[in-house]
Amino acid sequence: MEFKLEAHRIVSISLGKIYNSRVQRGGIKLHKNLLVSLVLRSARQVYLSDPCPGLYLAGPAGIPAPPPQQQPGEPAAGPPAGWGEPPPPAARASWPETEPQPERPSVSHAPRVGDEVPVTTVTGVGDVLQGGEADATEAAWSRVERPRQAAAREAEGPAGGWGVFPEGSLAARRPCFCPLGGEDPPGTPATTPRTACCCAPRPAEDEPPAPPAVCPRKRGAAGVGGGPAGCPAPGSTPLKKPRRNLEQPPSGGEDDDAEEMETGNVANLISIFGSSFSGLLRKSPGGGREEEEGEESGPEAAEPGQICCDKPVLRDMNPWSTAIVAF
Amino acid sequence: AGGGCCCCGLFWYRDSSPKPHLVNRFCILLAADVISTVEFNYSGDLLATGDKGGRVVIFQREQENKSRPHSRGEYNVYSTFQSHEPEFDYLKSLEIEEKINKIRWLPQQNAAHFLLSTNDKTIKLWKISERDKRAEGYNLKDEDGRLRDPFRITALRVPILKPMDLMVEASPRRIFANAHTYHINSISVNSDHETYLSADDLRINLWHLEITDRSFNIVDIKPANMEELTEVITAAEFHPHQCNVFVYSSSKGTIRLCDMRSSALCDRHSKFFEEPEDPSSRSFFSEIISSISDVKFSHSGRYMMTRDYLSVKVWDLNMESRPVETHQVHEYLRSKLCSLYENDCIFDKFECCWNGSDSAIMTGSYNNFFRMFDRDTRRDVTLEASRESSKPRASLKPRKVCTGGKRKKDEISVDSLDFNKKILHTAWHPADNVIAVAATNNLYIFQDKIN
Repeated sequence: MEFKLEAHRIVSISLGKIYNSRVQRGGIKLHKNLLVSLVLRSARQVYLSDPCPGLYLAGPAGIPAPPPQQQPGEPAAGPPAGWGEPPPPAARASWPETEPQPERPSVSHAPRVGDEVPVTTVTGVGDVLQGGEADATEAAWSRVERPRQAAAREAEGPAGGWGVFPEGSLAARRPCFCPLGGEDPPGTPATTPRTACCCAPRPAEDEPPAPPAVCPRKRGAAGVGGGPAGCPAPGSTPLKKPRRNLEQPPSGGEDDDAEEMETGNVANLISIFGSSFSGLLRKSPGGGREEEEGEESGPEAAEPGQICCDKPVLRDMNPWSTAIVAF
Repeated sequence: AGGGCCCCGLFWYRDSSPKPHLVNRFCILLAADVISTVEFNYSGDLLATGDKGGRVVIFQREQENKSRPHSRGEYNVYSTFQSHEPEFDYLKSLEIEEKINKIRWLPQQNAAHFLLSTNDKTIKLWKISERDKRAEGYNLKDEDGRLRDPFRITALRVPILKPMDLMVEASPRRIFANAHTYHINSISVNSDHETYLSADDLRINLWHLEITDRSFNIVDIKPANMEELTEVITAAEFHPHQCNVFVYSSSKGTIRLCDMRSSALCDRHSKFFEEPEDPSSRSFFSEIISSISDVKFSHSGRYMMTRDYLSVKVWDLNMESRPVETHQVHEYLRSKLCSLYENDCIFDKFECCWNGSDSAIMTGSYNNFFRMFDRDTRRDVTLEASRESSKPRASLKPRKVCTGGKRKKDEISVDSLDFNKKILHTAWHPADNVIAVAATNNLYIFQDKIN
């Protein structure tokens, strides 16, 4: 248990570092961020090896939880409203919205980077998104995925964690709301790699494209408003795919003229942790969806603020999500 | 018997009865900003420092002077110039720091001195030249430069050179830009004196000193998919004698030796140096502390030295399986890694250096401590660079960190170490026992006693 607590603490510290790296002068330091991601992985492994179910299963099954409002006292390390916002330019210090946004509490979602199971998509809530934001959040989400992959690529690592993805196993591309062609979403800083757009078509071993898994932003009480960017159109059934590595095919190769320093993926880890995760704790375990398992079908209850943490994710003790829950 | 020793008589004397400490001469030079690199030139007469503000300060050793016999060996400011300015890349919305990451001297070929200085993105070749004479007695112009009326010239004279106050000028001769997407961490001049390499996190480029619009990429470890990135390049250096050989170290604690004759792109190494990890010491931070922060060939070219967070290792180039020597720098920090991770100290990049004869190595630590290891006697010493503990012409007192139990007098406990006072950059004179130690924005120069 002690190890778990220390691992939790290290995860928190690491997230803070990745966040701060965005605002450091001179651009994102690839080396340091890589090392931090390795520490995150080690901490995650400790979490995995020391399961403590009571710690992260939160909320009675099947009871939808009201979206938690953004807590004013958010820890500085997790920028509260960061999820849905396009990441700020790497050179610029401030996270776009550091104040709590009552009308748009962020959703805590399980970083399903590397998860075996995709995160539940909150259905019905994506429709209200402004287009740009949807693009931004989707791109942000896909960018978020990548640092996990970078850290998780080690072949060694216990099965079941996000470190285990076999090389070459690709996530099916899901339709997302990114602008085509990998164009940067509005507001995206130039430093973030354009290849981050997850909607680049890609032959996948798996079949039908699943909806973008991430529901980063919990909208306020405006009903369906809480558009997590990238969520499928209302009413559609999010198809769960075992979400593997979010492979990014090079978008037509690098820009020959001016290669982007591809550290946006590493630095964008903060997007994952930008939300408060408080919603995760209230997440109904029954809200998950797993196509293979044939769980309850139909869209996730359209309650706003439904977080994107799969029951299967939790049940499988996805190490990452447990870390986030604890966080 | 004990001649040519340095700093601490106890450490350097080799006979059985250690003599009292040697007298040390040292000077402290204050820089305006945090010093980020220190480098002696090939003769040791010049010492260059770069700082976070993009400035380069060059010190010159005073020559022997009969009228001031004690001043021999003092280093005084020779030249100061602004090497790099902060830049903003508007396209990528990136600020480029002006901090000088590395300075490397070129071998001297004429009266002028040349050095390479680099920040994160741009390398510059600077020419430092002296002007101490000027011509007087021109025929066609006055002393103040006004042209004379040719019809008024009735006689011709030969202009003569007259001394003037020494002026040292630094001028940028070459700018090597736009070749690195990631942050440059190393530059190294080749023994052919015509080419040099520059290394960033993922790539190493080969340049010709005369050609600025082109460089050749010789190492590229960037994965096709950045998500697969597992290690970065942390340092690179050319072999001191074999102009086709260079090494680069990685964040995973490995060193690769490459031969440029084998192929144009040296992605495949010729030799791979790695010490197997000790599984019993595994922790959350094992990977971080195994990251190599510096690699330096010995002057002989037979060995190389690497610095990771807690130790320095000496490798024989003929043995890839493990180092031939491992020296613990501050093993007492191993139990503090979590705190050092929190305050970012675990990411500090310490450098290391050889002495001229390769018999000793030196590296820095915290609390303004630096460590020297004598490879022959297997003795080591901890010294401190601080005004309080060093008086002019007094010897440096060895320091000791108390690692547990009862703290003896004069020992310092681990918890009272000041982790803001770190010595990352040190340099050793190529021939003499003169060392330069950068402690934040103070530069200390220590020398052994003149017999």
